[in-house]
Amino acid sequence: MQLDSRHFSVFLALLLAACSQGGTVAAPPTEIAIQPCAGTLPADPLDPRWQAVAPFPAPLILQDMVEPRLLETSTREVRVRTLSDGARVAFHLEWDDATKEDLPMPASFVDACAVQLPAKTAPDVPAPQMGEPGRAVEIVLWRASWQAVVDGRPDTLQAIHPNATTDHYPFDAASLPEGSDARRAMQLRYSPARALGNDLAGPRETPVQDLLAEGPGTLAPASAHTSTGKGVRTANGWSVVLVRAMPPGLAPGARTQVAFAVWQGAHEETGARKMRTGWMPLFLEVKP
Amino acid sequence: MARVNNWQIGRDMSYWYPESRPKRQFAAIFDTNKCIACQTCTLACKTTWTSGVGQEYMLWNNVETKPYGFYPLGWDVKLLAELGAQQWKGDVYTGRTVFEAARPGERALGWRPEEYDYAHPNVGEDDCAGSIEKGAAFVEQHMAWFFYLARICNHCTYPACLASCPRGSIYKRPEDGIVVVDQGRCRGYQECVKACPYKKVFFNPMTGTSEKCIACFPKIEQEQQPQCFVNCIGKIRMAGFISRPEDANPDNPIDYLVHVRKIAKPLFPQLGLEPNVYYIPPIHVPTHFTRQMFGPGIEKAIAEYRNADKDLAGLLALFGSSESIMHRWRREGDVVMGLKEDGTEIVRVPLKEPVHERVAYDASLKVQRTNCP
Repeated sequence: MQLDSRHFSVFLALLLAACSQGGTVAAPPTEIAIQPCAGTLPADPLDPRWQAVAPFPAPLILQDMVEPRLLETSTREVRVRTLSDGARVAFHLEWDDATKEDLPMPASFVDACAVQLPAKTAPDVPAPQMGEPGRAVEIVLWRASWQAVVDGRPDTLQAIHPNATTDHYPFDAASLPEGSDARRAMQLRYSPARALGNDLAGPRETPVQDLLAEGPGTLAPASAHTSTGKGVRTANGWSVVLVRAMPPGLAPGARTQVAFAVWQGAHEETGARKMRTGWMPLFLEVKP
Repeated sequence: MARVNNWQIGRDMSYWYPESRPKRQFAAIFDTNKCIACQTCTLACKTTWTSGVGQEYMLWNNVETKPYGFYPLGWDVKLLAELGAQQWKGDVYTGRTVFEAARPGERALGWRPEEYDYAHPNVGEDDCAGSIEKGAAFVEQHMAWFFYLARICNHCTYPACLASCPRGSIYKRPEDGIVVVDQGRCRGYQECVKACPYKKVFFNPMTGTSEKCIACFPKIEQEQQPQCFVNCIGKIRMAGFISRPEDANPDNPIDYLVHVRKIAKPLFPQLGLEPNVYYIPPIHVPTHFTRQMFGPGIEKAIAEYRNADKDLAGLLALFGSSESIMHRWRREGDVVMGLKEDGTEIVRVPLKEPVHERVAYDASLKVQRTNCP
């Protein structure tokens, strides 16, 4: 297509206008700034104080480094906001997900997200893929299924299958009074994961879990669970707040690295099958 | 991927981990010709292990009617369709195993059953799907066929569940080769459910972990056979330990039937897992079907079974004769004995059960009696 002189003039004017505005458009942020928060950290994702914080759009990439790999892109971006009260840091994650998946079932997976930081704040960070031997990463994981239980879904089969009927469980025996230790012991006998203290297997009191990893496949519960969180379903997806301890050694003005992961249950994402980021610079702003 | 030897397919193959065989390998033989699908084994397992919340749908042991029965739905035909047509050349499998056919990013070729696939075990599977010519029911040879296939975890030498677990939460016990899921470590990713071609790992939605048959290892440790074996009223099962073919010991009942007489065959050996439950194939089923299901050598196995000599018949008579594991066996005349590892006798069984015929009418009690053949 050839431009006549009139069209060329218009094109030139638009081009010059665009160039002249270039200096005023803010460059996309290259690091995530933890902004100071006066008072209590907003634990609710819908707290209006979060809207005062500019979101950092963190692009997500496939976890295609280790088997089982995710080879088909799902969530493309997670929008991150951070606030700190000096002792704790709150991450507000928001992403698009057309389908709410909060029931773990055979061949059915739940929506989830996680924040990962190096266990030690140092310029030389461990590998972003779950850390590496001797160089741990700390992970805070939120699952929609845990949120549903915390929000009131009963820990019963009927909560999963409303029309399910069962004739008899061994712990229903008349000889085992309700609420008795004997009944609880019988329940545990047929629930080995709970009997072994697998802390993802029991009824949840919190929708998040603190974890440590030293490489793919090494994920293990942290010695203490101190993080908190809450997720809410939005019109387009999920909005989740994860609050964890301030990384030790991260003083105002200092930097560390952070990584994020998002799982879409409807896309059969679980474990290593996830969308994730690499390390991203995390900067603790100095209080004005 | 490492290279390992799989004697069931007559060649080396690719596997996620290097070859590491346990000190001894749990194994079992099921005689399909004796099974009546009474499901006593299923219930014995169910009441022992899976009576908890979240385990309602699980059948670590199930019995299905072949060719139309499945638990879960289509477990075998779906995978065979995904794998596509493959070839054996004699005793060597020249096709691809589930490890060699794995899709990019996966450790084994597999699929995940959905909840509905577990929903209706045994329903409708005994209905005859073929048309029967008028009068066929009255001739000697059946025009349609079926058989009962009892299934537990195969405690494979190369388990796909174990290979697929990204956390190493599944392991083979070094002392007996039994494959177990560490319930303290599992995080419920269901990779094992997807990878196991026999679909014998189950996701528990209440605990969020995957669970499976443990071959009643607390009983194995006490030298006893698992619950589904000792409760089998058809006496179709024998549990023990198997050697590699080159180490076969004819005194070992499992070795004798698998390696020496070769009448017990693995289930879908072409998938490459070296499963350790062996089946005496049904004698009345077209061999084009059983060959696909149990591998080569079916015709010879059936001929051996049909013409069982005293040794073979004697050993088969030991099935279901004791709760104890019979590491060895011996026949003396018309009596066969099951022995402990040190040779101590556990049980002795006559090759032919004596027949006691009672009079049809007991005059002393004034009652009629029935004799069962």
